[in-house]
Amino acid sequence: MAEDTQEVPQLGLEAVIGFNGHVFSGLKVHPDKEHLIYPLGCTVIIKSLRSGKQTLLHGHTNNVSCISVSKSGRYIASGQVTFMGFKADVIIWDYEKKEIYARLLLHKAKVEDLSFSPNDKYLVSLGGQDDASIVVWNIESKEAICGSPASAQSAGHCLALEYTNLSDEIFVSAGNGTLRVWELDLLNRKIRPTECQTGQLKRIVKCLEIPNDDNYFYCGTTSGDILKVNLKTRLLSSCGPVKQKFSKGVNTLKVLKTGDILVGSGDGMLTLCSGANFKTIKSVQLEGGVTSVTLRGDGHQFYVGTEAAQMYSLSYTDFKPELTATNHNSAVKDVAFPFGTSELFATCSHNDIRVWHSESSKELLRITVPNITCHALGFMRDGRSIFSAWNDGKIRVFTPESGKLKLIIHNAHSMAVTTIAATNDCKRIVSGGGEGQVRVWEIFQDSYRLIETMKEHKATVNCIKIKSNDKECVTASSDGACIIWDLVRFVRNQMVLSNTLFSVVCYHPEEYQIITSGTDRKIGYWEVYDGSAIRELEGSLSGSINGMHISEDGKYFVTGGDDKLLKLWLYSDGEVTHVGIGHSGSITNVRICPNSRYIVSTSADGAILRWRYPQTA
Amino acid sequence: MSDTIYPAESIYNLIPREEEKTMKAPRYMSKFREQVKLEKQSNKAPNKSMGPAKVDVPLPQKYLLKHSKEPKLPEKKPFKYEDDELHYKPPVPARTDKPLMGLHTNKNFIKTNAVENIMAVPKKPQPAYTDTKKGDKQPLENSGLVPKYIKKKDYGQTPEYLLQRREEVRKAQEEYDSYVKERMKEGAMKQLSGEERFKILQALKKNWDDLHHQYQGLSVVIDTAPKKYRKERLEQEMKQLERDIDMIERHKTIYISNN
Repeated sequence: MAEDTQEVPQLGLEAVIGFNGHVFSGLKVHPDKEHLIYPLGCTVIIKSLRSGKQTLLHGHTNNVSCISVSKSGRYIASGQVTFMGFKADVIIWDYEKKEIYARLLLHKAKVEDLSFSPNDKYLVSLGGQDDASIVVWNIESKEAICGSPASAQSAGHCLALEYTNLSDEIFVSAGNGTLRVWELDLLNRKIRPTECQTGQLKRIVKCLEIPNDDNYFYCGTTSGDILKVNLKTRLLSSCGPVKQKFSKGVNTLKVLKTGDILVGSGDGMLTLCSGANFKTIKSVQLEGGVTSVTLRGDGHQFYVGTEAAQMYSLSYTDFKPELTATNHNSAVKDVAFPFGTSELFATCSHNDIRVWHSESSKELLRITVPNITCHALGFMRDGRSIFSAWNDGKIRVFTPESGKLKLIIHNAHSMAVTTIAATNDCKRIVSGGGEGQVRVWEIFQDSYRLIETMKEHKATVNCIKIKSNDKECVTASSDGACIIWDLVRFVRNQMVLSNTLFSVVCYHPEEYQIITSGTDRKIGYWEVYDGSAIRELEGSLSGSINGMHISEDGKYFVTGGDDKLLKLWLYSDGEVTHVGIGHSGSITNVRICPNSRYIVSTSADGAILRWRYPQTA
Repeated sequence: MSDTIYPAESIYNLIPREEEKTMKAPRYMSKFREQVKLEKQSNKAPNKSMGPAKVDVPLPQKYLLKHSKEPKLPEKKPFKYEDDELHYKPPVPARTDKPLMGLHTNKNFIKTNAVENIMAVPKKPQPAYTDTKKGDKQPLENSGLVPKYIKKKDYGQTPEYLLQRREEVRKAQEEYDSYVKERMKEGAMKQLSGEERFKILQALKKNWDDLHHQYQGLSVVIDTAPKKYRKERLEQEMKQLERDIDMIERHKTIYISNN
């Protein structure tokens, strides 16, 4: 595969919609005040605030867990999680060249936090719970200087790390019952901790913030209060707020030049409180728990990231949140285009369906159904409704502008509804369920009628495609069969059997052939008339194929799967013409837009990527 | 069919559209603009001034005096009524004035005076009466002793306005009678004959008597509710009968409409 990617041209990436809001302090503004840096799955994204252009930094093998930007802005460091028993990478990126400067490998399983020394000399990294060590790295030589266990045997694990602003030798770590100031002894290659005395107070510190003058530092705790500790004496100076604690814990802290503190708490409240007595000055409620607050410049404007994967920008003077970006915060399951336009597309995920404007990547509509997952969706051909399949076994039909629930089919399938399709006359819906049944529904204005249940599949139905004359459909199932059904007599026309879990099937536009794909990583061409195999292609070398779509002219088709690569194939030759590298999670679905301008692919990390469709003759 | 089934919402309405800028109508320009310009040139331009008028600088000798800029009031004159000269006699000649010399009248004052008195008609005495023994006189004319009222022209006659009113009443009555007659002819009404009227009256009176008899028989102490109601009922009925009797007695002729 590595050879393949070198010789075939790459697909141009136009836009990425996605942000992992669960990374604490993951959203950063670069010191040049023009770029936002944030994690998405295994990638780090640098987004220009002016032009909106995004650059993706690929290099991690698993989800990014922390991000740090050096004071000068030359370097970006990011840490990742990995599986037990493996080492987790810390990558230092060169910001100018947008490439890997150094890959540092010592921590096990997870990198918890990272911090640059003020003069870009050292990087200090903190390992996760299973590693529990602090390592100081020399950036110039790209080597470790020394390491040490992060906390005392008696104390809990460490969660946060922060370098002081003036000295290259002193940094602070904090965590569950531990609060330490470390001093670097470069000659002896040692770091020496001093435990800060907090007296009776037992707290789990989640975040640290050291103001520019290095006199004090602030610790945000899970119990919703802030500790203020003298950095010289290493004694607890004050603790607050006394009465109204920040509910669901302090997730992130930022000290402004005025001495006031911006506090992001787990209930989604962003609060500006006074530095002296921690009294609230202003506060604003955001959607999802606030996980990162970052200042642009001196703090006239700041950006806030939340767990709901929303980004807000606020100005210090009016303190009004302006939603700058919204993203899915869990795996995106399906994507659909309305008939005949590529300006809009809809995606579905856990909790919600969102309709996006393609060009601007702006969210136009959000339909939320709490706590359940939408597996599949589609637009009626006349554009009058959005139908969707949910894992509570219901089919929901929504109005497309207001997002109101128009119709709900209760108990459409005994297990989750896994796939759905509608006929071109907008009167019937064909749905497939987790138990293997395929059902045909007739849809009226406010009611529905079950026309027929077709029970031949033995396992989950993964994909349904209907022929353009509405008289035939093909279903792909995990039981290793693809069945072509007659939708007039409701009987099986043909069956295609293979030793795989079929995940996706597509009609060629001329509708004499179908292409299938699944976990065996093979793309199969089959004759519709008699179900005989025509050709088999090796779709991928490593991961199963989850999404496939064929262009309107039938010349090309596109596949995506667990190998995180998007591949554009020539239908007739069965050759890869283009590869899209950019996804950091396994691709769940791909679509070519009706006007053949874009390819939209979605992935399990919540990202939606829009690629330019290559204009080949 | 599909239009009636579905509401008007459509996904395609979500596509953001460029706002259409409404073009303003071109600004109004008068077609007489040139003409007005020309007219102004010819009519007003000659009167244009080029800044404030050029005047001579005041001389140093004629410096500004106090109150010189205040408005000049007319001279004060003594007040005089317009018709003063008619009322006043010519002034008395001054002591220093000397009469004109050599003026003599040739009128014979004695003779003309005698003649005038001889020719004069003697004055009639004013009739008067005396009311005191001292002989104090009062003019007789308005004293009330002269019989003026009974010597009035229309003394003892019915005044005009009464005659007019009587005439109006009579006319109204006539109209009413004629109307009743007409109605009677049509058969819509009938007059109650004297006999019938008398009978009704008698019957009403008898009823009243019965009630009165009952009323007189009531117990002296009205202590229970039924007694009270009975008494009130009797009183009310008697009052009603009295009113009816009174009405029939008041009117001699009674008409009854047939329907």
